[in-house]
Amino acid sequence: MEKISKETIEQGLKVLRQPKDSKLLTHLNSCVHCGLCAESCIYYRTMPEAKFIPATKVDLVASIYRRYCTFTGRTMPKLVGARDLNDETIEEMVDLLYGACTMCGRCNTHCSIGVDISYIVRMGRAMLANMGMVPETLQKTVNAALETGNNMAISDTDFVETLEWLEEDLQFEVNDDDAHIPLNQKGKTMLYTLNPREPKFFPLSISAMAKVFYAAGESWTISTKMYDVTNYAYYSGHLDESKVIVQRLYDEMENLDAKNCVLAECGHGSRAFRWEGPNYIEKKFPFEVFTSIELMAQYIRDGRIKLDPSKNPDKVTLHDPCNLVRSGGILNEQRFILNSCVMDFVEMNPHGDDNLCCGGGGGQLAMSEYNERRMKISKLKADQIKATGAKVLVAPCHNCVDQLTQINVYFKLGVQIKTVAEIVADAIVLENSENKE
Amino acid sequence: MTWYYWLALASLAICVGSLLFHTIRLIKLGKPKDYSNPIGKPSAAIPYSFTGAMSPAKKESAYLHMPTYTAGILYHLGTFLSIFIFLIMLLQIPITGLASWIIFGFLMITGVSGLGILIKRMVKPQMRALSNPDDYISNLLVTIFQFITALALIESTIIPLYFIVASLLLLYVPLSKLKHTIYFFAARYHLGYFFGWRNVWPPKQTR
Repeated sequence: MEKISKETIEQGLKVLRQPKDSKLLTHLNSCVHCGLCAESCIYYRTMPEAKFIPATKVDLVASIYRRYCTFTGRTMPKLVGARDLNDETIEEMVDLLYGACTMCGRCNTHCSIGVDISYIVRMGRAMLANMGMVPETLQKTVNAALETGNNMAISDTDFVETLEWLEEDLQFEVNDDDAHIPLNQKGKTMLYTLNPREPKFFPLSISAMAKVFYAAGESWTISTKMYDVTNYAYYSGHLDESKVIVQRLYDEMENLDAKNCVLAECGHGSRAFRWEGPNYIEKKFPFEVFTSIELMAQYIRDGRIKLDPSKNPDKVTLHDPCNLVRSGGILNEQRFILNSCVMDFVEMNPHGDDNLCCGGGGGQLAMSEYNERRMKISKLKADQIKATGAKVLVAPCHNCVDQLTQINVYFKLGVQIKTVAEIVADAIVLENSENKE
Repeated sequence: MTWYYWLALASLAICVGSLLFHTIRLIKLGKPKDYSNPIGKPSAAIPYSFTGAMSPAKKESAYLHMPTYTAGILYHLGTFLSIFIFLIMLLQIPITGLASWIIFGFLMITGVSGLGILIKRMVKPQMRALSNPDDYISNLLVTIFQFITALALIESTIIPLYFIVASLLLLYVPLSKLKHTIYFFAARYHLGYFFGWRNVWPPKQTR
C-alpha cells in the first residue's frame, strides 16, 4: 500500500518535468551504467557495495525520469529499469542522495561519459525537498538560518558581545586601541561574512581575519543582521529557501552600500553565494564577490601584509575543499599563501581538483543519523593526512575544519588544524606597532 | 531493391529522425543561463572536455580499469566502423579482397571486446545490481551487429540477416540507452562549460 499522496508525488516530479534548460535532460540520459565511477567515490571505496556506486545514485533519479517522462519508460518500464516514485524509492533516495553523497563532484571528472553526477544528486534532493522529505536534522539547520538569520541560531546580543570581546583581544594583540572590528558600517570596501561556526565555536578565526584586515589597512565591516555565509538549503535542495538566504545577503550588501562581498572560508557557502546565488535570484550581482583566500593572496602580492614564514616552522599540509577547488576554481591562491607564510609545506596525494572529500560535505555534518557512515568514509582522508607527516593541517573551509577536527580525534592523528586566516595571522609582521605575540 | 534493404533504410530514417528530435530538443532548451561572473573561459574548457579530459591518464574510470577501458574503446571503434560499413552497404558499394578480410579481423576483435564487457556485466554482482534489461540488450545487439557486419563482408548469403539485425538495432537505439550517442556530446559540453566558467578547466598545475 502506498502512503504517499499523488499530489506529493507530482511536487517531486515537477523538478523532472519542467527543465529550465538542456542540462538536466542531458545528464539524465547520459549514464550508460558502466560502473567505472565506483572507485572515484569515497563511499564506495570504504564500503564497496553496489548502492554506493555513483551511477546507482544517478539511476535512482534517472529511473524515475524514464518512468514518467519517456515513451519507453511509460510503456515498457521493466525494459529500461524505470521505477515508480513511491515510498520505497523515496526511502532509497533519502538514504543514498542525502546519506551517501557529499556532492564532492569527484566522480564527475572521472566519469567515462561526463555525467554531472553531483548535479543529478542535487536535483534528486530538490525532488525530495519539494515532497517535504528533507532529513529533519538538515532541515532544522536551514530553518535556523531562515528564522534567525544564521544557521546556529546565535542571538544578536551574543554575536555582538563575542565580536566586542574579539575586538578587545585584537587591540591587545596588535597593541593598538584603534584596531576595530567594525560593525554595520556603511560604504566600506569590504563586507566580510562569517560561518556561524566561528562566533559559536571558533572565534579565533574571526580575530585572525580581523588581524589580516588590520595589517592590510582595509576598509571593512561585518553586518550583525546578515553575516552568515552558509546556505544549507543548497544542500537540502530546497531552491526557494536557498533563494531567500542569498537574497538576504544581497540586500545587506545594498543596505550597507558595500563595494565587495568577501566570503569567509567556507566551501559550500562561497559556492552557494558566488556561483549559485545569482542564479537563484536570477540576476547579476552589482558588486564583486570573492573569497577571503583570494583577498589574502592579493594582499600578499600587493605587499599590503608582510609575513614571516619562520613563525610557522612546522610541516604544514593543505586540505582542498571540494566546493572551493573542484567546483570553485580556487586552486593556487591558498598554495601561494602557504608558501609565503610557512617554512615547510607538503601536498596531500591526491590534491587540488582531484582531492578526496573530507566526508563532511553535502550537509553530512548536519545529519547526525549518518554519523557512522561519515566517520567510516573519512578514513581515506585520515590516511592522506597521516601520509604527509604534517603537524599542521590547513583547511580553507569551516565545515571541513569541523569534520577534520573529528577525524583528528577519531583516528588519533595528533595534528593541529587551522584555517588559512589563522596561519596567515600567525605569520603577520606588523610594521607600525609592536607585535605582542 | 530487396525488402530487407528497404527495411534497413526505413529503420535508419526512424533512428536518425528520432535522434534528430532529441538533438533539436536539447538545442531548443539551450544551455543554462548563468548570472554569476565567470572567472574562467568556457571556450577553452569545452574543447578540453572533449580532448584532454578524456585522456586515460586523467580519468580513474580509465587508468584504474585499463582492460575494460581498452575493450570499451575497441568496442566503440568497432561500432563506428560497423555503422560506416552499413552506410556503404546501403549505397551498394562493394568491399572486397584484402580490405574485407582486414575489416573482418578488426570487427571480430571489437566484437569480442563487446562480448567481454557484456560478460563482465553478467558476472560481477555489483554490475548486475546496476544493470537493467536494456543494458544487456543494448550491449548484445551492438555486439551481434559487429559480428554480423564482419561476416557479411566475407559471406554474401547472410546479407538479408545482416540487414535485419541492422534494422533491429536502428529501431532499438531511440528506445534505449544507445541514444547516449547524442547525449554524450551534450554531457561533455555541459561539463566543459561548467568547469570553464569557474576556471577549473583547462586544469592548472598546483604550485
